[in-house]
Amino acid sequence: MNNKSVWLSRKTFLRGAGVALALPWLETFSADGRDADRTPKRFVSIYHPDGVGLPLKSDPAWKDWSWFPRGGEKNFELSKVLDVLEPLRNDITIYSGLSHPAVRKVHGHSNADQYLTGADTRGHGRYQNSISIDQVYAEHAGEFTRHSSLVMSTNGGIGGPRGAQTQSFNREGRPIPAMNKPRQIFDMLFLKSGKDAAARLARSKSALDLLINNTRSLGRQLSSHDQETLTQYLDAVRDTEVKLAKAQKWIDTPIPRVDTGNLHMDAEPREARLYFQTMYELIYLAFLSDSTRAATFQLGRENGEGPHDLLSMAVGLGGAHGLTHEVKKPDGWKNLGTYNRYQAEEFGRFVQRLKDTPEPTGKGNMLDNTFAMHGSASSSFHLSRNYPIISAGGKNLGFTNGRYLKFGQGNEDNQAGAGILSDAGWRGDIEADELPLAQLFVTILQRLGVETDSFAGSSGTLNRV
Amino acid sequence: MATTVEIATPRRSAVFHPRPIELAIVSLSIEGTSAHTNRTRKLAKDLKSLMKFLMITFLLVLGSAGTTLAGDAQEKSVALGLAKESGRLKSRFLKATQAVTTATRAIPKANVAYFHQSVVPVLNRSCLGCHGPEMSEGRLRVDKLDADLLTGSDVERWREIYNVLSNSEMPPEDEPDYALADADRGNIVDWLGDELNKASLIRRGKQEHSSFRRLTKYEYNYALQDLLGLPYALADNLPPETASGDGFKNSSELLQMSAMQFETYREIGLKALKRATVSGNRPEPVTYIVSMQEEMDTATSGKEDKTFDQSDESYGRNRKRQHLFNRETGKGIHFSGGKSMPQTDAATVQTPPVSSVVLALPRSDELKLNLDRFLPDEGIMRVRIRAGRSTMNADEYASLRLVFSAHTSNNANFSQVISERDIPVTASADNPQFLHFDIPLGDIQRNPFRKLTTTFPRRDEFLHIRNVSNAGKAEEPLNVLIDYIEIIAPFYQQWPPQTHTDIFVESDKSDEEAYGREVLTRFLRRVWRRPVTSSEVDPFMDLYTEYRPGFSSFEDAMLEVLATALATPEFLYLTQRAVTNARNSAGLISELELASRIAIFLWSSIPDAELLKLAEQGRLTEADVLSAQVRRMLADRRSERFSQNFVRQWLGMDGLDSVIHVTDSSLKEAMHEEPIAFFDEVLRSNRSVMEFIHSDFAMVNERLAAHYRIPGVHGPHFRKVPIEPQTQRGGLLTCAAILTMNSDGKDSHPLKRGVWMLERVLHDPPPPPPPNVPEVDLTDPEILKMTLKERIADHRNKPACISCHSRIDPWGIAFENYDAMGTYRTQIKDQPVDATSQLFNSQALAGMDGLKRYLLTDRQDQFTRALVHKMTAYALGRPLSFGDHADIDTLTAQFRTQGDHLGDLVHLIISSKIFSSR
Repeated sequence: MNNKSVWLSRKTFLRGAGVALALPWLETFSADGRDADRTPKRFVSIYHPDGVGLPLKSDPAWKDWSWFPRGGEKNFELSKVLDVLEPLRNDITIYSGLSHPAVRKVHGHSNADQYLTGADTRGHGRYQNSISIDQVYAEHAGEFTRHSSLVMSTNGGIGGPRGAQTQSFNREGRPIPAMNKPRQIFDMLFLKSGKDAAARLARSKSALDLLINNTRSLGRQLSSHDQETLTQYLDAVRDTEVKLAKAQKWIDTPIPRVDTGNLHMDAEPREARLYFQTMYELIYLAFLSDSTRAATFQLGRENGEGPHDLLSMAVGLGGAHGLTHEVKKPDGWKNLGTYNRYQAEEFGRFVQRLKDTPEPTGKGNMLDNTFAMHGSASSSFHLSRNYPIISAGGKNLGFTNGRYLKFGQGNEDNQAGAGILSDAGWRGDIEADELPLAQLFVTILQRLGVETDSFAGSSGTLNRV
Repeated sequence: MATTVEIATPRRSAVFHPRPIELAIVSLSIEGTSAHTNRTRKLAKDLKSLMKFLMITFLLVLGSAGTTLAGDAQEKSVALGLAKESGRLKSRFLKATQAVTTATRAIPKANVAYFHQSVVPVLNRSCLGCHGPEMSEGRLRVDKLDADLLTGSDVERWREIYNVLSNSEMPPEDEPDYALADADRGNIVDWLGDELNKASLIRRGKQEHSSFRRLTKYEYNYALQDLLGLPYALADNLPPETASGDGFKNSSELLQMSAMQFETYREIGLKALKRATVSGNRPEPVTYIVSMQEEMDTATSGKEDKTFDQSDESYGRNRKRQHLFNRETGKGIHFSGGKSMPQTDAATVQTPPVSSVVLALPRSDELKLNLDRFLPDEGIMRVRIRAGRSTMNADEYASLRLVFSAHTSNNANFSQVISERDIPVTASADNPQFLHFDIPLGDIQRNPFRKLTTTFPRRDEFLHIRNVSNAGKAEEPLNVLIDYIEIIAPFYQQWPPQTHTDIFVESDKSDEEAYGREVLTRFLRRVWRRPVTSSEVDPFMDLYTEYRPGFSSFEDAMLEVLATALATPEFLYLTQRAVTNARNSAGLISELELASRIAIFLWSSIPDAELLKLAEQGRLTEADVLSAQVRRMLADRRSERFSQNFVRQWLGMDGLDSVIHVTDSSLKEAMHEEPIAFFDEVLRSNRSVMEFIHSDFAMVNERLAAHYRIPGVHGPHFRKVPIEPQTQRGGLLTCAAILTMNSDGKDSHPLKRGVWMLERVLHDPPPPPPPNVPEVDLTDPEILKMTLKERIADHRNKPACISCHSRIDPWGIAFENYDAMGTYRTQIKDQPVDATSQLFNSQALAGMDGLKRYLLTDRQDQFTRALVHKMTAYALGRPLSFGDHADIDTLTAQFRTQGDHLGDLVHLIISSKIFSSR
C-alpha cells in the first residue's frame, strides 16, 4: 500500500465531524423524522470500460488471469486479477451472471451509457436513455446535502450517444456532465462562493411572493369548490418556497473545511496513480463532510483513445483499450489482467479508507453505511453480458459480504463468450441465462431507503444478496 | 366445428335492471312490452319488406348492366345504407321530447325487491349458518346487511361478498351442507354486480364537477406555441396526463399540480421566452452552398474518367444508383455526398439560375453531407433544396426527409430524423422548385464533441437528405433531381424576428419604466386572455424594478418577469369567476371565459385576438357572431388539434402506442392517422355521424390502402376513397388501429374489442372485472384443443363470469373476421371464421356486417347520445354528472333532429346553455 496517502488523522476526522454537525440537515431530519438515526446512507459506482480478461479454460493464462473467482459462495478463490482484494475479502461481494437484457446484443463499445440506467439504448439510430440508479437515489436523499450528487469521469462532460463519458442520467434520460478536473471538483465542493446562486434565489423568492398574492386575489373571485382546486397550485408554490429556503440555508451555511493533504489538484490521467487517488479522495471527502450521498466515477471511455486511455500507464502498460485487443499476443492476458488488477487495487484502497474511518455519527465505520460498486458493462471482449461487478460495504444497510454470488444458469465457470478474439465475437449466440442487473439495483435502492419495486422496467429484487 | 354460442340469458326476463342512465335508452327497445316498441317493430318489419323489394330491383338493374360484383357483398352494403334510414325512424329523440327526458333522467334505484324475493332465501340456506345469529365468522352477519347498496352503508361488505362468491371461495368446499348451486351463485353475483355498479355510478354522478382546471400538457404546449409564435414542441418535460374513466385527459379532477410540475412550468416558460426573443446584433449566419454543377466539376476533374453516358448500355444499371447527371450532355458520375465548408462571403450569395447538372436521388437513397463542426448551437437551420421530379407519373410520389447524424468513434454513433414531416417534390425537372425545412438546432441531438480542440472523438456532423418515395421498378424510375442546396443557420426571416417584436413591441423605448409597463400590459392581456388593469400590472412592475439592477439589459430583466407571468394560475388554468354580474347570477361564465373555453375546445389553445376582441365587446353571445366565429375557427388549421386530441382520447388510441406487433413504422403511423383523418373528413364535410358506424368510403394513404387491399391509392397523404363492400371496411369500427390495439399481439382479442365497443362507442362501460379472475388454463389439453371462441365460451359459462361476459363477449366476437393486424380473414388455422354471436337480449349478430346493421337499425339513439356525451365532456373538460343528463338529452334531440351532422354538433354544443354555464 502506498504510504504517501496518509490516512485521515483522528484530528482531521474530528474537524470533519465538527463541520458536519453544523450542517443544516440535522434540523431537516429532526423536522420530518425521515432518518432518525442521522447516519447518512451512501451510494457510489465506479465504472471501467472495456470489460475484463476472460481466457478459455484451455488457455494457460486461465489459471492466473481470468477475472472471475473460482469456487463456491464462501470458499471462493481469487485469481491474480483480484487477489489485491484478499485483505478485504470479508468486505466485498463479487457477482456473476448479471447484465441488462435490453442491450445484450449490442456492441460493448456502445454500452457504458446504460450500465447504471438499464435503458434500451440500442446500437444505432435514434438514442434515448433513462434515469440512472445514482440519480434515483439523489432524488431521494439529495435534499439532505449541499449537492444531490457528485458526477465524475476521467474524460469529463457527457461524451456522445453510445459513447458516454458520464455514468449519470437524469429523469428525462439526459446525460449529466461529469467533472474531471480535481481542482474544479474541489472548488465546487469546498470553495464555491454561491454568489450567483444567492441572487437567483432572491429573484425566485420575489417571484413566488408575487405568485402567491396573485393566486390569492384570483381565489377570492372563485367559487369555494374552485378555490379548493386552486389550493393545490398554492401548495405547489409553497413547496417550492420550502425548497428555496433549504437552498438558501446551504448558501448561508459555511462550507466544510477538509484536509487537502492527499489531494493533487492538478493531477492528470496520464499520472494515473496520483489522479486516481485524488479522485477517490475527493469522493471520500465529499462523503465524510456529508456534502453528497451519491457519487459516480467513470474511468476512461469505451473504445478509449487519446490521453484518457493512458490510465494503464500506472502499471507500465500502453493504451488500456488496446490491451483488450492484444490478449493473444505474448503476455496479452497477463497485461490486461494486470491493468484490471490495478483498478481493483485502487478501489480497494478507497474501500479500506472508508472502513478505517469511523462514521461521524458514531454508527460503525463509513464503509458500513456506504454501498460501493465497481464494474463494467461488458465481460469478455465487447460482449455485453456477465458484467464483472464487485461491491463493497453496506453492512448497516443490510448487505452481507465475503461472498461470490453466481446468478443465472448455464455459465457456472464463466466460460460463455470466454476467449473471444474477433471483433465480431460479441454477436455470437450465447446459451447461458442471466438475470437482469436491474434486480440488484432494486435491492440496492430499497436498502438505501427508496420505496420502489422496479427499475428500468424490471421488477423484483435479487435473491441471496 | 364451432357453432353459434348460446348464452344463457341470465334472469333478465324476470326483472330487467336498466343499467343506469345510458342503458335506460336501450331498455326501451329491449323490454319489449310497450306499445311504442311494438310499433317500432312493425315499422321495422315493413321496412324489411321494402328493403327486400328495393334490393331485388337493385340487383336486377345490376344484373342487366352485366356487372359481376359479388351479389352477397353488394346486398349487404345496400342493407346497411337502408339500415341507416330505418334505424333513424326508430329514434326516440325525433319523437316527443317529453318522453326523452322522463326516460333518461331517472336516477338508478336499488333493486331491493329482487333481494328479498330471490337472494335472501339463498343466503339463508347457504351462508347464515356461519354468518348469522349463531355464528358470525369474520364478524359478518348476512342477515344484518342493508340491501340497499345505493344509499346504505354496507357497500364494502357487499363488495367482499361479491368477490368471494364470484371466485367460488365461499361457501367452503368442505361444507357440502351449504353448497351453493351454480344457478343461485350466478343470480346473486348478477344482482350484486348490478347493484355495485349502480352504487358507484350514483357516487360519481352526485359529485359536483367543475370546469375550473389546469391546462393539459398538450394544451399548455399549444398555448405557449400560439402565444409566442414558436412552432416547436416546448412542453416535453412535463409529466404525461392520466386519462379519466371516460378516457379523457382534460378531465378537471385528474389535472393535479405539484411542486415539480410548477417548477417545470417556470423553466419551460423562461426557456421559451428566451427562444422567442433575441439580443444584440443580427448574428452572422453560417451558410453552406452545395451546387451540383460544382460537385460535378470536382468529381470529373480527376485523371481517371469515371463518367458514364446515358447512351451507354450500362446506363440503365448506373442510373439506379445515386449520381450526378448533366441533363444537357447526358453525362453522369456516381456521387453520394461529400464534405461541405461554410461560405465565407455568405452575404453575397445569390441564388444561381437552374442548372442542367443535377443530383439524381433514387428512392430510399440519401445524399449525406458532412457539415463539419460549424453549425451554431441554437437557432433555426433552414435547409433549402431546389428539386424536381425526373418523371411525372401520377401513380408515383417522391418526398424529402432530413436525417441528422454523427459517428464520434467506433460504435458511438447516432442518427435521427429531424424533419417533422416529409415534403413532397411536385415540380417537374424542367421547372424545379425550392422546398425548405426549418430545424431548431437547439432541440436535436448534436455531436457533443463538436467543440473539441482535438480531433478525437470525431467532431463532424452530417445532414442526410433522403428520398422517401414509392417509385416502382419501371424502365424509367422516378428520381428526385436536385441541382442546388443552401443551408443557413441561424436563419432569420427578419431582424429582429416577429416573435421578438410581438413581445418587445416597436414603441418609444427611451423611458424603460414606461416602456416596461407597455410591454407587460400587452403581454399579460394575452397570457390572461382578458383586459388587465393598471393595478394588476403593478406587482409585475415592482418585480421588474427589483430585477433590473441584476441584469445588463432591459430585455433580460423583463424576460424573467414575463416568465413569472407564464407561471400565474390564470395562464395555467381555465378560470370561471364567481363574481356578481348579470351573466354570472344566471350561472353563466363571462364572455371572455367563454372565448377561452371555445378556443380550448376547438384549438386546444388560447383565443386569438379576434375572438378576444369580440368577447371584450360583448358580442360573442350574439348567435350569428358566435356561429361565424365557430366556422372561422373550424376553418383554421389549429382546429386539426381538435380532431387529433378528441379522437385520440375518445377512441382510447394511447393503446396503439403500446402495440409492439406492428413493426412497420409507416403502417403504424398510418393506422394512427386513419381515425383522425376519418373524423376530420366527417367534420369538415358535415356528414352524418352514422358514417362512424359505416361508410362507403375510407380515409387511407398508400400504405394503409395496401394493408386493406384497396388498389390505386398512391402517396403518403390521406384522402377519401370510395370502397367496395369486399374490402370489408367503412366507418371507425374496422379501422386497423382499433382492431390492432384491441388484440393480444398475436391474435384478435374479442373481450378487449367488446369492452372497447361498450366503453367508447356505446358509452355503456361494463363493471371492472372481479379480482383474482382465474386465468384460462392453457396447459389443459382440452382447452388447448378449443378455438378461441370456444375458449371464451368455456370461460364465460363459469357462473361467476357469465354475467359480465355475456354483455361483453358477443360484441367482440362480431369482430372475429379481423386479426391482430386488423386484416380481414375468412379462416383461422384452416377453420372458417365464426364471427356470429348473440347479445344478451337474444339479438344475433352475424359478424361485422351484422354488428353494423344492428347498431344502425336499433342503436342509433344510444350511439348518438354516447357521442354527444363524450364530446360534451371533452368540451367542458369535466366528467358529466346526473344533473347534466337532461342537457345531454336536449342536445342529442337537437342533434338528431338536424340530421346527425358532426359539424352541427360542434355548433350545438358551443351554443348550448351547458357550455356557457359555470
